[in-house]
Amino acid sequence: MPKLRCYFLLPMLIAMSLVLSGCSSVAPWQRGTLAKPQMAASRSELAATMRSHNYGSREAASSSGSSGGGGCGCY
Amino acid sequence: MAATKISPLQALTVAALALPGLWAADCQAEEDEINFQYSRYQESRRNLIKTPNHSTPIEVDSLFGSAKVTLADRVKFAFNYSQDTWSGATPITVAPLVAGSNQSVVQTVKGSKPVVVGASPIIASRQIILNKNLKPLAFNNKGKFLGKDLRVVNVLSTASPETRKQGDFKLGYEWDEAALYAGGGISVENDYESRFGNINGRWDLNQKLTTLNLGLSYTNSDTSAIIDHDASTYLTKTAFLKQIDNQGAYQILTGNRQDWGSNFGISQVLNKEAFVEANVAYTRSTGYMENPYKATTVVFVDPEQPGINRLIGDVKALLEQRPDERDQWALTGSYHQYIGLFDAALHFNYRYFQDTWGISAHTFEAEWAQPIATTWTLTPRIRYYSQDAADFYTPYLTSKQAYEGIAKDATGREILVDADNPNNGKQYFRNDDFNLIDSSGNLVDENTLSTIPKTVAFDPKKLPANFSSDQRLSAFGAISGGVNLKKQITKGVSVEAGFEYYSHAGGLKLGGGGEGSYADFGYYVANASLNVNLASLNAGRKPGDHTGHSAHHHHHQGGAAPAGVMFAHMMNKADDVMVGYRFMHSHTGGNMLNGDGIASDASILANGCATRKAGCKMVPTYMDMSMHMLDIMYAPTDWLNLMLMPQFMDMQMNLRQLDGAPAPKLGEHIHAGTGHATGGIGDTGMYAMIKLFDLSSIHHLHLTLGLSAPTGDVDITLRRTHKADEGFIHYGMQLGSGTWDLKPSLTYTGQLDDWSWGAQVSTTRRLEDKNASGYALGDIFESTAWGSYRLNHWLSASVRGLYSAQSAVSGKFNPTPGLVKGKLKKNVNPNNSSVDYASNYGGRYWDMGFGLNAQINNGDLAGNSFGVEWLQPVATDVNGYQLDRGGAISATWAVAF
Repeated sequence: MPKLRCYFLLPMLIAMSLVLSGCSSVAPWQRGTLAKPQMAASRSELAATMRSHNYGSREAASSSGSSGGGGCGCY
Repeated sequence: MAATKISPLQALTVAALALPGLWAADCQAEEDEINFQYSRYQESRRNLIKTPNHSTPIEVDSLFGSAKVTLADRVKFAFNYSQDTWSGATPITVAPLVAGSNQSVVQTVKGSKPVVVGASPIIASRQIILNKNLKPLAFNNKGKFLGKDLRVVNVLSTASPETRKQGDFKLGYEWDEAALYAGGGISVENDYESRFGNINGRWDLNQKLTTLNLGLSYTNSDTSAIIDHDASTYLTKTAFLKQIDNQGAYQILTGNRQDWGSNFGISQVLNKEAFVEANVAYTRSTGYMENPYKATTVVFVDPEQPGINRLIGDVKALLEQRPDERDQWALTGSYHQYIGLFDAALHFNYRYFQDTWGISAHTFEAEWAQPIATTWTLTPRIRYYSQDAADFYTPYLTSKQAYEGIAKDATGREILVDADNPNNGKQYFRNDDFNLIDSSGNLVDENTLSTIPKTVAFDPKKLPANFSSDQRLSAFGAISGGVNLKKQITKGVSVEAGFEYYSHAGGLKLGGGGEGSYADFGYYVANASLNVNLASLNAGRKPGDHTGHSAHHHHHQGGAAPAGVMFAHMMNKADDVMVGYRFMHSHTGGNMLNGDGIASDASILANGCATRKAGCKMVPTYMDMSMHMLDIMYAPTDWLNLMLMPQFMDMQMNLRQLDGAPAPKLGEHIHAGTGHATGGIGDTGMYAMIKLFDLSSIHHLHLTLGLSAPTGDVDITLRRTHKADEGFIHYGMQLGSGTWDLKPSLTYTGQLDDWSWGAQVSTTRRLEDKNASGYALGDIFESTAWGSYRLNHWLSASVRGLYSAQSAVSGKFNPTPGLVKGKLKKNVNPNNSSVDYASNYGGRYWDMGFGLNAQINNGDLAGNSFGVEWLQPVATDVNGYQLDRGGAISATWAVAF
């Protein structure tokens, strides 16, 4: 399925190349902006967990990845 | 087929898993903190097309609590607790509209037009007419042909409240550039129990510009579902006979599923203002993945019927059948960019999902995190989701065979069997003269034997191997948007509120071709949370600071009141803030009492249900109540403290039939199943504490004036069951009082050296005669006294006595009209159990309390205090007939700053 290959390979390769090339060199003292609370990857963890639980109980693509739990959501 | 479809990805997954490094996105090094969150999920009403739908849609009240603490230098521990209580109407199947599967429940009030008050599902066998291409045909009430009608409609069923509880933990060890976490937990609900474990690792590379994450999880879940009693007779369960266990009146469907999940992720800093994340996840699920409450409608059309252009179809509902294997892949990419002009951050997220059920899905999400005026953060969010249907999804099926045909032997003769004993293996036939003969051809005397035709069930092989009408597996799109507002109150304490609206529609599917609009619905979620960052609180304290907080700690030392006493402690410094959590659990169970003596079943039967001529039939076997309360306290001046106390309740109970009670009439509701549960927000308290005097730091007296707002529900009803609507669940299971209540109290505390003591009187007065449901709980009076001794510099023990009294409920539930076996009744409120009567509430109670209090004075958790108290009933004198009490436990945590 060539379509599938595209979807998955492209972003993966981009991510890989970023690492391998070591393209960025941001010194620790230059990371003040990255450390701002609004830049955090997970900002409101409980709210995010709640939202994904709601989506998971109403959508098919709810693979939980590496945490588990969440119950049946059988309603 | 499935294997070839996914092979490139499989190879990639294996390659990704083989990479060095360890991780998980949600387990970065974190600071010690405590979080609470409440959320409410409310779905819109489903469109039933021809039948007005007034049934309450799905609603869910959820409570989350989490604590993250550092156990030792590099050892982290996190604990999460969550519980959801849900109820409402949800689709159980989809049927052709012409089958008329939803029936209106109509209330007639004298002098006005009938009002539709609800809808009731009929999945009972019915017949529809189809054309020769098996398309449903519509006729009006007089039988006039109207034409083809291809519309389908959801068939709804209402569920009584049910509660799910989940507890999980994570233990981690953190190195300078790596971390390893192991966790596990359990999620429990009446019909589903899930246990899970996981391991996650993180590895920082390249001066922490690159982080790798790897995670693995395992989940094992058991379904044990009671098949809807009303639906059961009409549900075809052929495919699951081996999984169904008959327990008395109940049929219980059991199943097990297992899920293995893995993910690999990488995050990379791009420059001073941006970073990206990529994650690939694979999950393999096996076992029973059906939803036990979903059925697929099958229209059976007997090919041997005489008609050609007008065919009769039997409408039946079969439990859904899903494949018992599913492989799922998800690839996620996120991009995070700082926007200097606004000091804001843009977060973009895309996820692609594909599984072996034929579903692929795209999710796009964008968030804009905007700080405002240093202490506020406003985060609008938008999300779009689109999925294809599962290969086996279908609104309903048509099958060219009879649901139940007449059995024939090899020569084409109809087989007859003994009407009284159809399964004795003997077969009979009619000979050419229409005389009854046995299988050897001998004549049988019809005066001694009555026969019926032998029937054969449909052939399941002529149906697809898998089918489901669950709209989660249909093709649709969903768009949702919301906003989150966060406010930093003081250093280390923040509150947050959020709102989201979600719209599910076939028409929103990417590229079109989604499910019809009959399946469209929407929901909203509102949430509020409190976050206490313990590390920040401590960072604000200087060692040796005796003027500020440590002076406050001194006030606590040895002076802590037992955990079960509220409003015992005042903060005596202006601008002090305290945040606390209070948990109480009480159990009633054991003997039924009348006054202070044990009541026999015979006396309850005769006198327990005051106004019911037939007497009582049921009594409770137990009732458990849990309360989660947040204490938020602020001192505007040194003599006044203000306090806000929202609470969350959940309750469980079950009933039994009294010995000697007459056998239930056909169709009468008798419990003794898995019982009842309710849960959600309780009443909200607002208090002002006023210092009256403080004498030489030994004697202290304060007055508390409180008002309780009726935020808890008092209109929770039981679902329609046994073909009968049911009204309000009893007074003790409602979540609040429903009335505005006045709650004054007077508290005296004293303290000298290692000893402390106190006394309190308090009352609860209802300010209204009755609430919206027609009744008012009784007033309460309480008095208590305690003594406490400090065992060492951080631990003290307490003993106390408590007397309390509550009057009976006044008024009673407003009548609830409803349909019982097709007939409208003016009042369907339950009335056959002692708990259904207002006079069986309240009483006089004597208890002893034994408690421990811990005050942490130094280290990372300095300023935190904990308390626990067991309350042991000593004597009980109840009004009317009630269950005996089994004791109560209280636990508190508080942090002041």
